[in-house]
Amino acid sequence: MFAELNSILNSSPESFKQGEFILVSDRQTDASFLIHHFLSFYLRGCKVCFLGLVQSFSHYSAVSQRLGVSLNQAREKGQLVFLEGLKESLGVLLQGDTSNGTPALDFLRDPSSGLRGLYDFVHGNIRGSEGRAEDWGPPVLMVDDLSVVLSLGVSVGAVLDFSHYCRATFCSELQGTMVILVRCEAEEEEEESDEGSERLQRGLTHQCSLTLQVQGLPTGYCRDIHGEVEVCWRGRCDGLQIQRKLFQYKVCDKGTLFFARGTSSAVL
Amino acid sequence: MLLEVLQGTEAGGFILLQDTVSYSGRHLLKSYISTALKREEEVVHVLGFEACEKEFRDGLDRTNAQRLHFHNAYSDPLGWTGNSAFTVHQFTLEDVSTLIKQTPQAKAVTLVIDSLSWILRHHDPAAVCQRLQALKKGGAVRTVIVLVHTDMHQRGTVGSIRHLATSVVTVAPGTRGLGAVAKTTRRTKSGKLMQDEETFSINEDLSVTIHSKLSHPGHTHVNTDETEVDPTANLTFNLRLSDTERQAKEKLALPFVFSKEKKSALLQPGPGSGRILYEPDANDDYDQEDPDDDLDI
Repeated sequence: MFAELNSILNSSPESFKQGEFILVSDRQTDASFLIHHFLSFYLRGCKVCFLGLVQSFSHYSAVSQRLGVSLNQAREKGQLVFLEGLKESLGVLLQGDTSNGTPALDFLRDPSSGLRGLYDFVHGNIRGSEGRAEDWGPPVLMVDDLSVVLSLGVSVGAVLDFSHYCRATFCSELQGTMVILVRCEAEEEEEESDEGSERLQRGLTHQCSLTLQVQGLPTGYCRDIHGEVEVCWRGRCDGLQIQRKLFQYKVCDKGTLFFARGTSSAVL
Repeated sequence: MLLEVLQGTEAGGFILLQDTVSYSGRHLLKSYISTALKREEEVVHVLGFEACEKEFRDGLDRTNAQRLHFHNAYSDPLGWTGNSAFTVHQFTLEDVSTLIKQTPQAKAVTLVIDSLSWILRHHDPAAVCQRLQALKKGGAVRTVIVLVHTDMHQRGTVGSIRHLATSVVTVAPGTRGLGAVAKTTRRTKSGKLMQDEETFSINEDLSVTIHSKLSHPGHTHVNTDETEVDPTANLTFNLRLSDTERQAKEKLALPFVFSKEKKSALLQPGPGSGRILYEPDANDDYDQEDPDDDLDI
């Protein structure tokens, strides 16, 4: 986990806000470094259900090793429930009609059925540990990344229904946390298309309580500054409705440096 | 005008609250509910799809809270977990009327939908409009107030809902950090349309404070201190006109302007203009009638 990001978000593994829905979105860059941060952050004390739809388990394991967390150990202890989307999807796609694969990835067989199977999988895994709930803190759901199902034929409405149900279960009922990554593609047409990652991102932003929007620098690629992160707290309490903060970042070998705009060490 | 809409008690009212990702309209919605609850014997029914009951009741005055009936459509709106209080498919005139009949002793009922965007995702927009119109005209409900996220739908869908509304309030973040901006459009029963744009903020007790009115938003950028520079000054030649010169200039008839004198000169042939003599041949079909007779010049 990145210490600077913790201070920006005013949270630490011992004390963080309950019931948060954190949306990480990126545009023309890769925000998965934030997923690694949150994974190692929450594995310090919570039970995590991770839906890894775009990378293999060994990928996250290797990166988390550098951040000081062992995913293998966590999985063995039962602290981490990992859905390896890429591996399971082979089972679903190659075996055809036989229902050997988990029903979680049923949307691969029939995209119009939506993500109800995925929700049932998540719901079952959290409920299943009811007896040992006191071992870990409030449950955490992480998804990397949710926008990939759009290219598999699932509609934006179905994805928003899934995220709504997850939020109702994880954030409101169990007071846990949700972290979802969506990747937006730059839309070429001027008119808003009905089914698109932009619409999904807007819909999820309406539902969430904290967004981290990552973008590349508008001026292009830079060796010392990899991009900008805009952190928005969507007000649940009275006072200023939305609080925004903008930072620039640089991804390093064992962490990420965050600094205010224009104060990169390469510039000063 | 925002305060008038918030405090309005006309029957058959339909208030549409439009918001976007940059500013959430839910606080203003709660503000409206708080105002409605302060009125005696008024009951508010909420179809809550997007916020849980705890979050919704947070900040509302506890003394009036029992007159707020929250119908939980947040935990299970599609029936996936099997313990739903209200599903999105129950958004019909019969089911909503059943909900409202739970409080028969109320003097006036306000129905709040948070949010209509959820319903529009699962139902055909035309059907939603029909049901909303039925609720509005039905008589069981005095006012319907609805929250819509305009950036989640096509313009046509939002436009159809707008047509049903008697008042439309669009909220957006304020430009100078003073609060938020609300554009209000009100349509009276006689069909008169009134519009207003105000900066507002919501206090802790959910009351609304109006900061300023921007009734002519386009004019705020005009700089009235600008002095005009006279281009005819400081030249080595004279560009100014004396009075006689100006009169002569105004009297001058421009060559290609079609004035009344020119028109009458053209229509009546003057002396000395050419005459046309026509001797019809045996094969010619000579019609004495003037073909231009019906022209009205």
